[in-house]
Amino acid sequence: MEAIKNAFDFSDLPKTELSLAAAVLVFLLGFPALPHSSFGMSTMIQFLAFSLYGMGWNLIGGYGGQVDLGKAQYVGIGAYTTAVMMIRWNVPFWFSMPLGMAFAVGWSFIIGYPLFRLKGHYFAIATIATSLVLKDLFEVWDFVGGARGLELPIKGDFPNWLYLQFREDYYYYYILLAMFLVGLIYVNGFRHSRLGYQLRAIKDNEHVARSLGIDVHWSKIKAYAMATAFVAAVGSFHACYNYNIEPEDVMSLDLSVLIAMMAMLGGAGSIWGPIIGAAILVPMKNYLGSWLGGQAGFAGMDLALYGLIIMVIAAAQPRGVYGIVEAVRARRR
Amino acid sequence: MEDIAIQITKSLVSGLLMGLVFALVALGLTVIFGVMDIVNFAHGEFLMVGMYTTLLTSPLLGIDPVLTLPLAGITGAILGVMCYFGLIRFLIKGPMIAQLFGTFGLMIFLRNLALLFMGSEPRVIHEGWLVGKSFIVGPGVVLESTKLAVAVLSLVSFAVVWWLINRTKVGKALTATSLDAEGARYMGISTEKMNALAWAVGGASVGIAGGLLVNFWPVEPGVGLLFTMIAFATVALGGFGSVRGALVAGILIGMIVNLPPVWDAMMRLVHVSGLDIHSFKYTMVYAIYFLIMVLRPQGLFGWKQ
Repeated sequence: MEAIKNAFDFSDLPKTELSLAAAVLVFLLGFPALPHSSFGMSTMIQFLAFSLYGMGWNLIGGYGGQVDLGKAQYVGIGAYTTAVMMIRWNVPFWFSMPLGMAFAVGWSFIIGYPLFRLKGHYFAIATIATSLVLKDLFEVWDFVGGARGLELPIKGDFPNWLYLQFREDYYYYYILLAMFLVGLIYVNGFRHSRLGYQLRAIKDNEHVARSLGIDVHWSKIKAYAMATAFVAAVGSFHACYNYNIEPEDVMSLDLSVLIAMMAMLGGAGSIWGPIIGAAILVPMKNYLGSWLGGQAGFAGMDLALYGLIIMVIAAAQPRGVYGIVEAVRARRR
Repeated sequence: MEDIAIQITKSLVSGLLMGLVFALVALGLTVIFGVMDIVNFAHGEFLMVGMYTTLLTSPLLGIDPVLTLPLAGITGAILGVMCYFGLIRFLIKGPMIAQLFGTFGLMIFLRNLALLFMGSEPRVIHEGWLVGKSFIVGPGVVLESTKLAVAVLSLVSFAVVWWLINRTKVGKALTATSLDAEGARYMGISTEKMNALAWAVGGASVGIAGGLLVNFWPVEPGVGLLFTMIAFATVALGGFGSVRGALVAGILIGMIVNLPPVWDAMMRLVHVSGLDIHSFKYTMVYAIYFLIMVLRPQGLFGWKQ
């Protein structure tokens, strides 16, 4: 009961932030009614998906301070579970998504146990290695389609709620928005939960946290599993939304880093951080890409700019955009 | 039986040569990590810059690719120093997460700059002193002159860096900086200069590696990631910051990558059409990296924890 009350308790956040968040929520709810291009719609869906990825990453990377660069493997597990089950056994999305989450969480326990014996750089690079190993295995595993990936069959009978197949994008949008809100409320509860406080203690000083009686290793593994569940759920959704998945697309290192970068750019360890990060990076990447990438002789220009911006942010304000907001607020006091 | 003996010799030889290439690539990474505790994700992109330098300057100046190696080394060193003063100096003040993303941003930046200016098609050097020549040293065992040259140069570079670190005053200052930067500053060592020097040495060694590698490995903007990951694995296996470790680990990894032909020969011997492990050769490297990190985080010769 306490946990549920905590999850809906936003009262410790500043008033300005809450009113801004409410305005954004109204905009998100009303967006499909506004005039928009289909490109704008798919950008919004990507924004919601990456916000959710980032929220998941934030649990372990932001609150726990463990830089995880292997989240894509869980996107892959979620997406492949849904795709394989739909193709082979006609299993509906609503059943395969929780199963995908369960698989991902199981796998996260298996590799999380040895992984969290490492710290800092060593941990970050080891997460990349595990993700790449899994990707390489999927690329040669015929059962899941190998390197060519899988194509989801079109079931027809639109709108098909069971298999999450729709003609219009706004169905996907609202489903993802619902997941987004559930995720946001979960993260809010997590902030006030026992595990949330334990993780922040671990981030500040592991030795002190241990001496206070926190089981550091187990806390990290638990938070890692939570983060994994988030990412796998969106992975399942991605499979249905895209109709087509391949290892290079859902399990690549680029995706892992993008996920972490969203949260880091917005402000790791704050509830709004991943959302701010996704709101900046996703449109920027999409529109820069379609604007510059489309012109002949400018291939690569968009991503080069993107890299430059990441470098500047990392050098100037390592706590991200939310860090800037907090710095301004502190100065005003 | 003879078949398998030849195959093993072949794999050992090419593994040794390839391993020395990997070791040379990893050398720069381990020097930088040893001195300043920062992981450079853009390391493979430095290699790419070295490769393009040789590829472009050789026809431009009308000299053989081998003679452009000093140029590749200098370009790498300049790039390293520029990155240090332009980016890394600011990153090290922030938390570790900022360092990871800063160098990752550098990687994306360099890779796409290359895509912008060079296009995406893979290119390789077609003529030169080294290209296409080989020595036959035994039945079925062929030494390609390109790989031999890289191997020799790799050993020379290791000797130079080892000498620099262990036998010179500058090397002592470098070691002092890596052991305790604050203490070194009290002793009158300019740690700023030492860090820049580490980036220069790291950049130069990886630039030279790139200049040689382009003789037999096609260069394209995305070439870096594979080498970055292999360099990480090499450095982890040898121990972060250990020069000697990078050499031994590089050779070991070269052997691992050349394992599949031996495996095939053994499968033929027992008349089993077994598992095809060719597509797993880099997977094995990553898996070994993971196991090493978990079982022995300090690596074979490491001293940093």
